Amino acid sequence: MLEITDLHAEVAGVEILKGINLRVDAGEVHAIMGPNGSGKSTLANVIAGNPSYRVTAGTMEFEGEDLATMAPEERARRGVFLSFQHPVEIPGLRMDHFIRAGYNAVMKSRDEDQLDPLKFDRLIRAKAKVVEMDATLTKRAVNEGFSGGEKKRNEILQMAVLEPKLRILDEIDSGLDVDALRSVSASVNELMGPDKATLLVTHYERLLTYIVPNQIHILMDGRIVASGGKELAREIEAKGYDWLAEQQSA
Amino acid sequence: MAQRDSQESHYLSTFAAFEQNGPSASPDWLKALRKQAIANFERDGFPTARRGNELWKYTDVRSLASHAFTLSKGNGHEAIDFAPYDLPCPRVHQLVFVDGHYAADLSTEPPSQAEHQAETIGHRSEGLIVGRLSEAIQERLPLVEQYLSQQAGAGAFAALNTAFVEDGALVYIPDGVAVHEPIYLLFITTGHASVVTHPRVLIIAGADSKATVIQGYESLTADAEPYFTNAVTEIVTRPGAVLRHYKLQREARNAYHVAATHATVGRDSMFASVSLDLGGGLVRNDISITLAEVGASVKLDGLYLGDGKRHIDNHTFVDHAVPGTSSDEVYKGILTDASHGVFVGRVLVRHDAQHTVAHQVNKNLVLSDDAEVDSQPMLEIFADDVQCTHGAAIGRLDPNAVFYLNSRGLDTREAQELLVHGFVSEILSAIVDDAVRQYTDDAVLTKLG
Ligand SMILES: Nc1ncnc2c1ncn2[C@@H]1O[C@H](COP(=O)(O)OP(=O)(O)OP(=O)(O)O)[C@@H](O)[C@H]1O
Ligand SMILES: [Mg+2]
Repeated sequence: MLEITDLHAEVAGVEILKGINLRVDAGEVHAIMGPNGSGKSTLANVIAGNPSYRVTAGTMEFEGEDLATMAPEERARRGVFLSFQHPVEIPGLRMDHFIRAGYNAVMKSRDEDQLDPLKFDRLIRAKAKVVEMDATLTKRAVNEGFSGGEKKRNEILQMAVLEPKLRILDEIDSGLDVDALRSVSASVNELMGPDKATLLVTHYERLLTYIVPNQIHILMDGRIVASGGKELAREIEAKGYDWLAEQQSA
Repeated sequence: MAQRDSQESHYLSTFAAFEQNGPSASPDWLKALRKQAIANFERDGFPTARRGNELWKYTDVRSLASHAFTLSKGNGHEAIDFAPYDLPCPRVHQLVFVDGHYAADLSTEPPSQAEHQAETIGHRSEGLIVGRLSEAIQERLPLVEQYLSQQAGAGAFAALNTAFVEDGALVYIPDGVAVHEPIYLLFITTGHASVVTHPRVLIIAGADSKATVIQGYESLTADAEPYFTNAVTEIVTRPGAVLRHYKLQREARNAYHVAATHATVGRDSMFASVSLDLGGGLVRNDISITLAEVGASVKLDGLYLGDGKRHIDNHTFVDHAVPGTSSDEVYKGILTDASHGVFVGRVLVRHDAQHTVAHQVNKNLVLSDDAEVDSQPMLEIFADDVQCTHGAAIGRLDPNAVFYLNSRGLDTREAQELLVHGFVSEILSAIVDDAVRQYTDDAVLTKLG
């Protein structure tokens, strides 16, 4: 579904991604771990098409098509979804209005039925139930005054509404309490399917006990320095990243 | 110098003719008031930054001053399709003026009031009055002499308005009366000729009264001849009154719109003002609020949308004159093309005005390289036990927000539209009357395209 080859990207003239190779097939969950500042969010944003980041070399293919030349909205319409590490607050724009506009833009691009406010209200209520989110939050301005956990759950709600194929979840576990973590993970699993794929960015092994990855990749200084099974996550949890860096330079 | 003389002398000679032919039946106090006003205008002249007038440093009125605008004769008006100006509510007190002259055919009273109409309009001070100023003057209503020009003193434009005061609206809400229908004062300019109008409005909200007044300034044609609207509104709210005042300015692209609004707010009274500037070529609004008694409060909201070469200047002044008053002000601007927005918000907390609460924010979205904003909050605090904040922001749409919307499938144009709507919604939601808000929402969203 996603095939990244020797991807280089820079932000503000500084190279952050220095040759990423990654292949995620339908039905798979891949986790990306790595120290702060190693480029995890950069990778997530580059896949989603954030124009602040510039791809300088390499290729990204989504379902066999070149992603790099697609506008971010085009990627979203084809089924790429990014759950942001830091979702923005947008005062004055109501959450349900916003996500209905997004939903309808996606549906329109696929020549499928758009929903009027009433029908959409029914949909979003149903989805809020699925992700165990308080539906009254959807009547508030996008993320404005939301708690850290509410923001994360709100991202998952949007994912539930848009039903994307490729779900990039950037630190979906940060700021969540134990119960919320369990419930959000359950939603992510429930919304998964054989035609879908998940790219999970996290710092903590615990998330990976709820959402079990097929593969774990360690990103350091813009490169994937190790890939493996869940033993890799356990090792990181125990030893940190330094030993990997040493192994690299050795 | 010579040019300056000729600019003012046009109005001086117009005044001489006006005095001769115009409002012959005026009472002596009014004749004297006009004479004094024209003398003040002659003395001060049009304000220019060049003459060291700080208040006009961002707005150049030379092109306004150089036009020889004439008073409209007022011999009837053409047929007007009123649909675009209709408030979406069945009952409204509506006074309409076309090129400065009262349009009886477009003015209405709500059905329940109809039977009282002959009695109430401009005739009785015990009942509600939503009537013509000229009638009230003819009827020698003491209210008018008592309140007219009590607040709108200084400045050349206010002086000009007073010199030419003839008609306009008088709104009087008796003590304890809640007026449920909106009071709608509409000033339409046809735009066929280079006319000047001097709309004058006097609003007196009695103790514990409640009312909503909408003042609209409209042009029949977007591409009108240059014209000049020089409006003055004076407002007094007595103890406990709640007065909501909404101004919708949609003048033509070539229009000069200068408007001064003064309000004196009484004990425990609440005055709420929302000022929407969607049109005009050169626009200057002065809102001046005196919180005169304990417990007086004001909420000031404003939105200005600049495109083309529009110049929109909002000056607000809140005077916390006594202890225990509050003000809350939010002005927002969206500027595109080569437009220019100005916000100067002065808040004065006088020496003994303890326990003042004053908040002021001005935010501007600048959507093009050629658009410009000057934002100047001025807090002058002389009391020590106060709670005051202010802030100003000038910026573009947040690229992170645009990307957030893009990442949910919205293209950049749709994203910008949603973000702009979000930006203005705070101001629009300050209009609490549903029917009026529906009307103003439409006006603003249409304008935003
Ligand atoms: N807009 C930007 N301008 C300048 N530098 C940036 C920008 N965005 C990211 N960076 C830099 O790129 C590097 C990688 O950042 P990124 O957010 O991808 O890290 P991360 O691996 O997600 O870290 P964390 O675990 O803290 O979320 C950091 O050094 C960061 O400072
Ligand atoms: Mg990150």
